Amino acid sequence: MAGRSMRRLAGAAILVIPGASTFLAAVPAAPETGVIRGKVNVSGTVTFAGTAPPAVAIDMSGDAYCAAANAAEPVRRRTVAIDGEDRLADVVVYVKEGLAAGDRVVPQEAALLDQQKCMYLPHVVALQTRQPILIRNSDETLHNVHVRARHNREFNIGQIRGVESRRAFSTPEVGIRVTCDIHGWMSSSIAVFDHPFFAISGDSGGYSIADLPAGEYLLEAWHASLGTQQQRVTVTAGGTTTVSFTFQAQ
Amino acid sequence: MHVTLVALAASVVAYAPVTRPGVRAHALGGGGQRLAAGLAGWEAQDTAGRGLYGMGCASCHGRDGRGGERGTNVAFTVAVPDFTDCSFSSREPDADWIAVVHEGGPVRGFDSTMPSFAEAFTVEEMQAIIDYVRSFCGESAWPRGELNLPRALHTEKAYPEDEAVTTMSADVDGPGRVVNELVYERRFGARSQIEIGVPFGAAEAPSGGWEAGLGDIGLGVKHTVWHSLAGGTIFSLGGEVVVPTGSESAGLGTGTLVFEPYAAFGQILGSAGFVQLLAGVELPADTDKAAREAVWRGVAGWTLAQDRGFGRSWTPMVEVLGSRDLEGGAKAAWDLVPQLQVSLNTRQHVLANIGVRMPVTDADVRSTTLVVYILWDWFDGGLFSGW
Repeated sequence: MAGRSMRRLAGAAILVIPGASTFLAAVPAAPETGVIRGKVNVSGTVTFAGTAPPAVAIDMSGDAYCAAANAAEPVRRRTVAIDGEDRLADVVVYVKEGLAAGDRVVPQEAALLDQQKCMYLPHVVALQTRQPILIRNSDETLHNVHVRARHNREFNIGQIRGVESRRAFSTPEVGIRVTCDIHGWMSSSIAVFDHPFFAISGDSGGYSIADLPAGEYLLEAWHASLGTQQQRVTVTAGGTTTVSFTFQAQ
Repeated sequence: MHVTLVALAASVVAYAPVTRPGVRAHALGGGGQRLAAGLAGWEAQDTAGRGLYGMGCASCHGRDGRGGERGTNVAFTVAVPDFTDCSFSSREPDADWIAVVHEGGPVRGFDSTMPSFAEAFTVEEMQAIIDYVRSFCGESAWPRGELNLPRALHTEKAYPEDEAVTTMSADVDGPGRVVNELVYERRFGARSQIEIGVPFGAAEAPSGGWEAGLGDIGLGVKHTVWHSLAGGTIFSLGGEVVVPTGSESAGLGTGTLVFEPYAAFGQILGSAGFVQLLAGVELPADTDKAAREAVWRGVAGWTLAQDRGFGRSWTPMVEVLGSRDLEGGAKAAWDLVPQLQVSLNTRQHVLANIGVRMPVTDADVRSTTLVVYILWDWFDGGLFSGW
């Protein structure tokens, strides 16, 4: 059936490791202009300074399905990815200024936002403008996906089990909140860029943006509740540049 | 709201069965097996509509159809409608509810908290859900909103209404005459309505110069005697008392009390058309000041909706007006009024109608009149809401 094959394709295209956040590798897009420009990897680690608040279990007792689905392992709302360590996952790191305008190839592989055991998976989705996103409900209960975009068109889709909706965004926008109005704890976010130079930090706090042309850039790191951090970086040909970010408690 | 069956028909025809990118989660009969497990007690053998409601609606709208008995983790504060309130639910045509279920709240100017279910249910399934939702109101006395046919410029509707209308008429030839009438209608009970009409305007005197002032105020009552959604028929009896508050000398009033009983009839034709008929008499208390008259009116039209049937509604209509003095030897006067009604806002509860009243008989001595109204269905929201 067309739906099943699309799900397999979506699953293969997005590097999802169950339990960890997405580590999205950038697709090279700088056009050949006749000048040889070096392509550089920018990577680093995102950490949290100070004592992280303890991870709190989410109370799903008001919904029998969600409570049963998570009975074996209650979901915890956490700041740092692993208790006792300082690594921050789900931080979107991206080039904010310094990119030359140029052609880019819009990826046709869809990004994926799934709902499993009454939680959004992944917690953060990053994709390009006009790149498709598949929004799927894998749960046996009703969810709605309320995408509260401000620069893009806001929409709210009701999904029963198995429904898979396909959308795309036209305008760059970071921090689009996604909520389920039936299960108030469900929250995710979407970041949309008109270039491929972005990544999301994993459980190790690490991120990597590949194939950035040499130049001067402003990098920004965005966290769903800890705000944004910025750093300027000069990227020279033929190397790896390391840029790390540290977030403070708000 | 004046969106008629055409919107539903257009959406069924124009939309076609949903092609979903994913796997169909259920068939119509099997919906009960995949119920929202958060709401225990909804059995698999429920009717398809009830099962689908349990699966897709009860989490927010409540098992009781008014927001009660639902999950405790709902994260919105916007009030859900009370489907048990017959006064509210009976006046909503299926087509408007299907539009909201299909497109989400914003299609009718409601909050985006109401999602679009176009990818979860087919239109047939939405109709089954809405048929179930209708059962939350158990009283059959209330006439359904599908019978609320579009209001013509002059012909009284059979349907009882909660609305305010301001109608401006301007003669385009002959002596000048500009009249504005404010009409306020309010329902009471399941099938009745009272109304007050206040005209004021200006008329050009034969000697030249304009006289402006209040016209004759009318107070009316109307009662729906019979209605049938299946037959698409509604029939009402009403009456109006017109009080001589207008200046007779200025040509703004008759100078006498007038009683105006009438019968009004409406019939849906096909999926998008309608006809409305009215017959009545005008009985002045002082027949020296005004003649007794028989009045008859007919309207025929149909409604088209943009955007796959979910959007703005347009209703072209033709109205035929007839009257004849009841004194012997009098001749009937006929007028033709082509007109177009259009919904102005997304809630579709503020509408405009523009038309031209053209005299068919005695056109050389009777004026052609431009007529426009703005109508506000105040029950559906404030004048500035739902835009």
